[in-house]
Amino acid sequence: MSHTGTGPVVSFENVSKHYGSLRAVDGLSLDLRAGETVALLGPNGAGKSTSLDMLLALRKPTSGKIRMFGSDPYHAVKSGRVGAMLQSGGLMPEVTVLELVTLVAGLQPRPVPIATTMRRAGIESIADQRVDRLSGGQTQRVRFALAIAGECDLVVLDEPTTAMDVETRRRFWASMKEEVAEGKTLLFATHYLEEADQAADRILVINRGRLLADGTPAEIKARAGAKHMSFRLDNVNEPFLLALPGIVSVDMRGDVVQIQSSDSDATLYALIDAGYRPRELEVGSLGLEQAFLAITAEDDRASDPVPTSVQPQEA
Amino acid sequence: MNGTMLLARTEIIRLRRNRRYMMTTLAIPIVLYLAIGKSTKTTVYGVDFAAYYMIAMATFGSFSGALMGNAIRISQERKDGWIRQLRLTPLPPNSYVIGKLAAAMAITVPSVIIVLLLGRFYGGVHLPAGEWIAIAAVVWLGAILFTALAVAIGYRYQPDQAQPIAMLVYFLFLILGGIFFPLGGVLKSIAAWTPTGEAIKIATDVVAGVSVSAWLVVGMIAWLAIFSGLAWLSVRATAETV
Repeated sequence: MSHTGTGPVVSFENVSKHYGSLRAVDGLSLDLRAGETVALLGPNGAGKSTSLDMLLALRKPTSGKIRMFGSDPYHAVKSGRVGAMLQSGGLMPEVTVLELVTLVAGLQPRPVPIATTMRRAGIESIADQRVDRLSGGQTQRVRFALAIAGECDLVVLDEPTTAMDVETRRRFWASMKEEVAEGKTLLFATHYLEEADQAADRILVINRGRLLADGTPAEIKARAGAKHMSFRLDNVNEPFLLALPGIVSVDMRGDVVQIQSSDSDATLYALIDAGYRPRELEVGSLGLEQAFLAITAEDDRASDPVPTSVQPQEA
Repeated sequence: MNGTMLLARTEIIRLRRNRRYMMTTLAIPIVLYLAIGKSTKTTVYGVDFAAYYMIAMATFGSFSGALMGNAIRISQERKDGWIRQLRLTPLPPNSYVIGKLAAAMAITVPSVIIVLLLGRFYGGVHLPAGEWIAIAAVVWLGAILFTALAVAIGYRYQPDQAQPIAMLVYFLFLILGGIFFPLGGVLKSIAAWTPTGEAIKIATDVVAGVSVSAWLVVGMIAWLAIFSGLAWLSVRATAETV
């Protein structure tokens, strides 16, 4: 069963969560649409986990409203339409992996066949092992199995691949794609930018509890001046280069010029129109990481203005 | 099968695998009864020592299982995030506690039955069928109180604190309730106010054939109300942090 209404699967309306004077989440508004795979990206302490906790009815917002499938989070969770895996979620000890998956599947209104869940989570080989004797990566896969043990419409994952090695991570995302192919909506928090870039069709960048950017991975990269150009050119000066369209930054060493540009085509054409003929020209995309760092750094600068006067230091 | 029942069944599977738990609920009362049950011919609370000690050991097994089996586990499962994980399932919010209670009740059945059988065939306690059932019921239902207390401790304290607190409360009630040895003087009148002492006194009154004081029953219900209230406060206080 997929989401039947026309409204968003999830909506945050000006949601805040304050702990004393700390604003863990600060006026967050966003909508998730059915079938989207969305990455929630932000540095540690950005409010990702708190946002997911509120979405899953584990914490109450200080103000604002969260809706899921047109109802409040608590009833949406209890209707079994959400499968979730939290960083802080634990496992019942003293039982085997198979017993635990069987238990959690049995709690679902629409359980997925246990063999299917075990295969998708890649835990068939550890089915008879005790839950409290697993490695970190194995534990993580069992937690994932619990999140997908029921037929749900929304999957929420908080840092799902923490403690997984590269191969396990690759397999994890392969089975995740299988899940999402059934029309589910997926929301995952991550600090692996590569993961957000490859897996998500939409990225929400949050910092200090606020939404800073919302777009496709390509849009997020473009927003931060995300093309890198390098070439060799004699007899050119820095002020001229800085005046070119789309320029974000310029670095010159001898005749080697390195440029970051938000519109590399416009920058290049303007350079050629001015009569220059750059040699050994290379244009490449900046990684999402640089884009992300640029966006959050900009926000941090805006929030913490550099003091205008500096007190003389005493010896 | 309904979700809460399924959870309770899994809790029972876990408890059966736990050696330490089976030791406290099953092995210790059996060994103590075999060692001490027939050691003296005196009368305690108006019944033979063998009958008194049978009731004391059945109470010990049942109450130990409920408190020691639950308090630290609940605290640990809260810390590990298992309670949190369960909150993400369609299971009703009180199912976790109900599952613990059901498991504690189920797992103490063999302990109570074995100790009573020992009383009958080793200790030579002879009673009408109705009285056997009454004793078993008092001792077994008393475990509900200690499960409530375990919830109050487990939800409130971290495992490293829950362990000593549970142990302290446990031994206090065991000793003051007259479980390990019969009490006299001032301690005996204190025992009448403890949940353990009340359970034992009700059961021995049944055996002695005297009418059970209504105050003992009221006392146990009052303790149940206190422990349940504390449990409710603990659960509520930690609602956002489990």
